[in-house]
Amino acid sequence: MTSVQRQRASSAAQAALLRVDDLAKSYGGVHAVAGVSFDVPRGRITGLIGPNGAGKSTALGMIAGAIKPSRGSVLLNGTNVAGWPSHKIARRGLARTFQRSSDFSGMTVMENLLTARYGQRGDTLRGALLGRRYWRAEQESLTARAADLIARFDMARMANEFAGTLSGGQRRLLEIMRALMTEPEILLLDEPMAGVNPALGARIGDYLLQLRQDGLTMLMVEHEMSVVERVCDPVIVMAQGEVLAEGTMDQIRSDHRVLDAYLNG
Amino acid sequence: MFLHAIGFGIVTAAVLALAAVGFTVQFGVTNILNLAYGDVMTASAFVAYASDSAGLNPWWGMVIGGLFGAVFSVLLNRFLYTPFIRRGARLFTMIIVTIAVALILQNCLQAIWGPDFYSANISAGATVRVLGMVFTTTQLILIAIAAVTLAALHGLLRYTRLGKAMRATASDPALARNCGVQTRRVIDGAWLLSGLLCGLAGVALVTELGSFEFTTGSEFLVPVIAAAVLGGVGYPYGAMLGALVIGLATELAATYFNPTYKDVVAFLVLIVVLLLRPQGIFADVATQKEVAA
Amino acid sequence: MSLAWSFYIATVLVYLGVDVMACWGLNLQYGYTGILNFSFIIYQSAGAYTAAVLTLGPNTAGSFQQYIGGANLPFPLPVIAGGIAGGLLSAVVGAIALRRLRSDYQAMVFLVISLIATAVVTDDVGLFNGPAGLSLIPQPMSTVLNLSLVGYRWFYVGLTAVICLIVYAFVWRITSAPLGRSFRAVRDHEQAAAALGKNVTGLRMTSFIAGGVIAGISGAVLVEFISAWSPGGWLYQETFVLFTALIVGGTANNAGAALGALLVPVAFLEGSRFLPQFGPPGLIDALQWVAVGLVTLVFLWFRPRGLLPERRRIIQVPGLQQARTGLPRPFDYEKTAETR
Repeated sequence: MTSVQRQRASSAAQAALLRVDDLAKSYGGVHAVAGVSFDVPRGRITGLIGPNGAGKSTALGMIAGAIKPSRGSVLLNGTNVAGWPSHKIARRGLARTFQRSSDFSGMTVMENLLTARYGQRGDTLRGALLGRRYWRAEQESLTARAADLIARFDMARMANEFAGTLSGGQRRLLEIMRALMTEPEILLLDEPMAGVNPALGARIGDYLLQLRQDGLTMLMVEHEMSVVERVCDPVIVMAQGEVLAEGTMDQIRSDHRVLDAYLNG
Repeated sequence: MFLHAIGFGIVTAAVLALAAVGFTVQFGVTNILNLAYGDVMTASAFVAYASDSAGLNPWWGMVIGGLFGAVFSVLLNRFLYTPFIRRGARLFTMIIVTIAVALILQNCLQAIWGPDFYSANISAGATVRVLGMVFTTTQLILIAIAAVTLAALHGLLRYTRLGKAMRATASDPALARNCGVQTRRVIDGAWLLSGLLCGLAGVALVTELGSFEFTTGSEFLVPVIAAAVLGGVGYPYGAMLGALVIGLATELAATYFNPTYKDVVAFLVLIVVLLLRPQGIFADVATQKEVAA
Repeated sequence: MSLAWSFYIATVLVYLGVDVMACWGLNLQYGYTGILNFSFIIYQSAGAYTAAVLTLGPNTAGSFQQYIGGANLPFPLPVIAGGIAGGLLSAVVGAIALRRLRSDYQAMVFLVISLIATAVVTDDVGLFNGPAGLSLIPQPMSTVLNLSLVGYRWFYVGLTAVICLIVYAFVWRITSAPLGRSFRAVRDHEQAAAALGKNVTGLRMTSFIAGGVIAGISGAVLVEFISAWSPGGWLYQETFVLFTALIVGGTANNAGAALGALLVPVAFLEGSRFLPQFGPPGLIDALQWVAVGLVTLVFLWFRPRGLLPERRRIIQVPGLQQARTGLPRPFDYEKTAETR
């Protein structure tokens, strides 16, 4: 590559924190995802929508490392992480939530948050055996951070309750808070509004907008159109394993291919 | 010597097939790894023994053993396994439950019948030469019983409503339920069939071995599971093939290597399959299915 | 108290110590990390045989016991070696068997591994003297200290207690550190744990090996006491007793594990010695096992978390009581890629 090309490539990469190129997954003869390419721009909330079976969750899974792609690349800040195990991708600044609740139900809310950060001093065998003196200071600063998050998300009452006793909506919040403890560069959300009552859903939407204002990049798979409209820009539409359209919500809405897909898919 | 081993292998495979198909049918439909299966085999053998001692023809004993296995298994599921699942017990809780049942059953048998060896009541019979291999008439009858039973099962699975419902539930319980399959009945049916095969296999096993004690069935459990998993859980034909493979392999190993390592062959097969290809040689996709109850 | 009673109680206390340590080890693997290790007994045995062989001295040709290895090491080296042996064996088994497998299959794999181990050791006389096992192992320091039979027993109780304390310190440090939380995260939702950057396989191995070391130590302590060990003591039922102990006492709770060890292997199994002998020999043993199975089922049904369930660890944070809504912004997300 010439230096001009390299510069152009890097500035394009700067705009897109995450770039997916020809990502595909087949199971036997079934093409769950048939080669999708899109960019997730920095500092925005990108929506990923489409009818059931479109392959959105599979695509998300491949980006996060939970599913091994059949082919394609996933460029996270310029590094191709396709096929990496999910913990390695997470260490690169990618956080995610899950469709079904993924809280650590045997631990309290506070413990859920404290365990989130990777690379803590007391997290290795050696560090643990060296005793409290070795890891206490770091834990105290993490605790302060967790307390801030708890206050911000209005979960003070539940701070020392087992995560298993939380309501569905509170669990979603906990998941997001836990992801934030890792100070991620990009947050993947897999249907955050599923099974959440509208009032709490609106609150979650508020939080997401706040996070965007703070500069967090997000990619959100979602079915609730009202939320997508309110929060997402740009929006990518997938159907039958392929990207059908990209653009703002208005553009998407007037795209006849999208309407067809929803009617037929 | 080779043919000799093959002959033994076929007999073992026949008994193993009965047991493995029973196991795989139940596991496929309910997704519960029932480690008490081997001990139900032993119990059925003891029930048959008791009926023989009461004077009945020992071949009837086999039928009675089979019926006992069927009834016991249905009740075991109805009154123990299903309530636990309804409560939300997960897979690893269930396996501890089945191990507890196995322990209880095995030791009840020991408490009642003691640690002694008992002789099977069906005598071996005259020897016959078939294709260069040597069998006893009893062995041939056992092979025939296995073949007939499995053929009947094949017919049931293929052509009856219950059979089709069982196959549907085995491949996708949620979908089957949504299609109106009466899961309760299907599950009872699966345990009934599985228990019947389990009981028959138990009596067949002790007949083939000649003598038995309270641990005989549980010692047979690993080859049974190995055959079932090798052929793909839930696939009866796979289990039959798996039984053939393991039956032959263990007998050949016993003949050409150390006979005491016979068990180890089945152990190794099971571990290798579970670690490398848990869905079995013949199945397509292994999914973490919900437990059906 | 009478000498016989004193002797007996000292014996039971040593057994208690050994079982408590074993429960702590299994608890680390099962209670904290969710590994259904049905092969636990073989790591105890590995520790026991290693300690035995290192105390018996080298195998002389023509002696009535055949085994591999051998040295005449002073206490506590054999016990430490036992722990290392348990750890090494766990490392090997863990590398092969710990993988992403549905939990009941995983349990089966471990169960079968323990069956294979038992079969191999029993059959191969050259390894560890076959089914007869090893015996006449000299007891630690017995020639140095000139104690009476009972006196020595109580001395060994003291020894066991000290080793228990050391093991407890080890377990406590692990479970109260962030590492303990990571274990529990892997137990509760391994995908989410991975999504937080945790190396699930590595954490499992760490827990497995740590538990294996403890298992080895417990086996070594026991074998140095009873002076004999044979494969008949290797059966998978022994592991099941420990699982029952954890289910009864409480998983993921070290006090619960200790309580379970007291109630199940010690109080229950030892206690049934005092029942009047009835029926043919072996009947009481069989009924004991039936009772163990029933106890497990009863507890799983009525009190699955055990008598002392997992504690809720409360973390006090000053100033948290006020629930602040609004927009304090603790983080700044505008980081460039380079600072990562």
